[in-house]
Amino acid sequence: MNRKQFINTLGSFAVFSIFAGCKKDWLDREPHTIILDEQVWNDPQEILGILANLYGRLTTDTGLVTGDNVANWFNATDYMDAMWSGQSNEDWRNNLPNYGFDYWRLWIYGYIRDVNLALEGLKTKSKELDDSQIEQFNAEFRFLRAYQYFELVKRMGGVPLVTEVLDYDFSGDPTPLQVPRSKEHEIYDFIASEVDEIKEKLGNEGSNTRANKYTALALKSRALLYAASIAKFNNELSNPITTSGGEVGIPASMAEDYYENSLAASTEIITKGGYELYANNPDLGENFYEAVTTKSANNEVLFARDHSAKNKHFFSYDNIARGIREDNLGSSSITPSLNLVESYPYLDGSEGKLKLRTPDGSDYIYYDNLEEVFANKDARLYGTVIYPGTSFKGENIEIQAGVKEWDSSINDYNTVEGAQLGSTFKDGKILTGTSGPQRSGQNVSNTGFYLRKYIDSTPLSSSRGVQSQMWWVWFRLGEIHLNAAEAAFELNRKGDAAGFLNPLRERAGYGSNSLDGSTITRDIVRNEFRCELAFEDHHLWDLRRWRTAHLKWTGSKSNEDDMVYALYPYRVVKPGDAARDGKYVFDKFVAPRFIAARYFRMGNYYSSIAQSVRNNNPKIVKNPFH
Amino acid sequence: MKFNIYIIALILVAVTAITSCEKDNYDPPKFELTGHVVYKGQALGVRTNGVQLELWQHGYKLFTKIPVYVAQDGSFSAKLFSGDYKLTAIQGNGPWVTSTDSIDVHIDGNTEIDFPVTPYFLIQDESYNLSNGILNAQFSVKKIADNGKLEKVVLLIGSTTITDNINNEAIASKGASAISDLNQPIDLQMNVPSGLLEKGYFFVRVGVKTVGSAELLYSESKKINVQ
Repeated sequence: MNRKQFINTLGSFAVFSIFAGCKKDWLDREPHTIILDEQVWNDPQEILGILANLYGRLTTDTGLVTGDNVANWFNATDYMDAMWSGQSNEDWRNNLPNYGFDYWRLWIYGYIRDVNLALEGLKTKSKELDDSQIEQFNAEFRFLRAYQYFELVKRMGGVPLVTEVLDYDFSGDPTPLQVPRSKEHEIYDFIASEVDEIKEKLGNEGSNTRANKYTALALKSRALLYAASIAKFNNELSNPITTSGGEVGIPASMAEDYYENSLAASTEIITKGGYELYANNPDLGENFYEAVTTKSANNEVLFARDHSAKNKHFFSYDNIARGIREDNLGSSSITPSLNLVESYPYLDGSEGKLKLRTPDGSDYIYYDNLEEVFANKDARLYGTVIYPGTSFKGENIEIQAGVKEWDSSINDYNTVEGAQLGSTFKDGKILTGTSGPQRSGQNVSNTGFYLRKYIDSTPLSSSRGVQSQMWWVWFRLGEIHLNAAEAAFELNRKGDAAGFLNPLRERAGYGSNSLDGSTITRDIVRNEFRCELAFEDHHLWDLRRWRTAHLKWTGSKSNEDDMVYALYPYRVVKPGDAARDGKYVFDKFVAPRFIAARYFRMGNYYSSIAQSVRNNNPKIVKNPFH
Repeated sequence: MKFNIYIIALILVAVTAITSCEKDNYDPPKFELTGHVVYKGQALGVRTNGVQLELWQHGYKLFTKIPVYVAQDGSFSAKLFSGDYKLTAIQGNGPWVTSTDSIDVHIDGNTEIDFPVTPYFLIQDESYNLSNGILNAQFSVKKIADNGKLEKVVLLIGSTTITDNINNEAIASKGASAISDLNQPIDLQMNVPSGLLEKGYFFVRVGVKTVGSAELLYSESKKINVQ
């Protein structure tokens, strides 16, 4: 054996031993980097992780965060309750000639499939969990799926109802996977029947971040109210929106049952749920703010998307009033409109229009201080909106647009507005407040109002370093009262309807029993929805289900409902006139940054279905007008 | 020398960036499809960007519509590649009877094709008269399709020739209940906004709305000079 042969032999041994030296099942090991299905569905912690992921992906149109198909708080500026006063790169929202037919489009079959996979995993692979645990997880997954089907049906009409995992069998024929759209009412019926089946199995008693029996009933209360409204009001249109297959449109005959079932679900929550309207603060305005935003000792909230120190958001950074922002950028993006402010009635029950000029219109009405013009308004206004003369986090929000200086040569006022925020007039007093408003500035209110609801009052929560942990409320008892009131009203039980509304109104400062069966009207019920639930992702959907959106937002600049109005406060400088000098007056006009009148077309009642979806599944029919 | 290497490298990068894409780019579509939405050869007036037709081309993997917006005088146009297309209307969108028929369009050069429809109503014989800042309009509405139900007629004043129910300075309208006989001419009048009177001219149009149709049908936009 020469040297070369020796090396060859040695090499062969080495190679041989690499293949032969290990155990027999060397290639059959458990991976260290992948969790197998069997492991997931036999470990409650893993399942909880999947649930948490799915809870985090529940869809809302507005919300406090931004994310694909999850939420986009920017949208809160699109529905006349507010406008965009933040960075000018979002000014298209103030300049929207109409809502595109794909606005609010949603097609979340990835989510539906994830739930269906989980249900299948629980059924076929969970061997080590006991039955009650499987049953609870099963119910919770189905709640999430029902919630998402509600989001789908309210935007798209009847959608394909997929309740099992669809897998392709590689046969060359995809038609078994092509599920046609269900009728619109079938989706609502599905939601109701799912709730009925799972509500007793959900567990989670007392939780307001995981679904329990009353969360499921709240979904039913809301969903069936929507179904009932569509059944009733769609058919009252001169030309109801329908498709021949019933994918869109619900027969009028179904309205009554839906109202009854919605009312039954609401009543069960109100009487048996153990929830109560938040009433911990004697200051009614602050109390309403806390009812939505306080996490501790809040027995009103049924279900919320909570945020913690590990999961924070920038909502307060982006939307805090300019004058008290704690960062060097941001603030003021969602600024409520005068339209919303005036929708809050006076406590004596009269219409909410502010009294700005004398009855004959010849002169201003002079107010001693800024907040006086808002006196005797529904306290929910204070809890929702920061208006001139109020404070937040204990700091005064300085809202003053400028000064009206009397010029005797023209016998009228000269309007002086400061180029700088927080500037002083030549008399040494405030010219323009630190929070504006300004006509063209970015990140300062364009309307004269700021958002209070959902803004975090924790110190430094509006800075990017600290951020906010405010929660987003999906369901609270206030809404359930409203749902019950509307259902009772439409069923012509007006006394009951008033009974459901009165506790909410009493909390807003009206006397006890401010409404009864003879004084309640449909307009009052609907306005209660707007006042109570502003910025909680309801107004648009309410207008859609009542079929009034196209009457309200007509795209006409001469229609007050189509334009966002601003209210600019001025200090009067008129020395020698004690009745006017130093007093405050208010100018009302279309917000300067708001350009295009809101236009809601008949084709906006249902969003369009993407052509790519229809290409993949030819059984999907189009929505009307698209 | 080092400096030169940088220059050369830069030039190389620049040359690559400019030239390398050229080979696999398409030429832009160069043929123009033009036409009008017509009834018996007469173009119909609509709202600018309100009414949409759709062009579809079968046989490619990407199957998606080419939206074709109709201008206010009823004309439309699109730049297309040569090929075969289908031109369709969206149901309930235009102020005419919904038809599911499509029109075959063969593009092999500039092409002109009219899109025939049956409107619910036609506006005829409109005349305007301005006196003392008050505009009087007289016109007649002729029913064409049997299933059309009149909702209202409107008189619109705008500051530009683009005038419709969205773009306007003032609107006057008359509901169907106030119109007893369509054989009689309809009168509508309104005050002209003072700003337009000072400007010296404005544009007027009348429109007719059918129940269930999203868009109105309009007369031609006409310029009125203030004397």
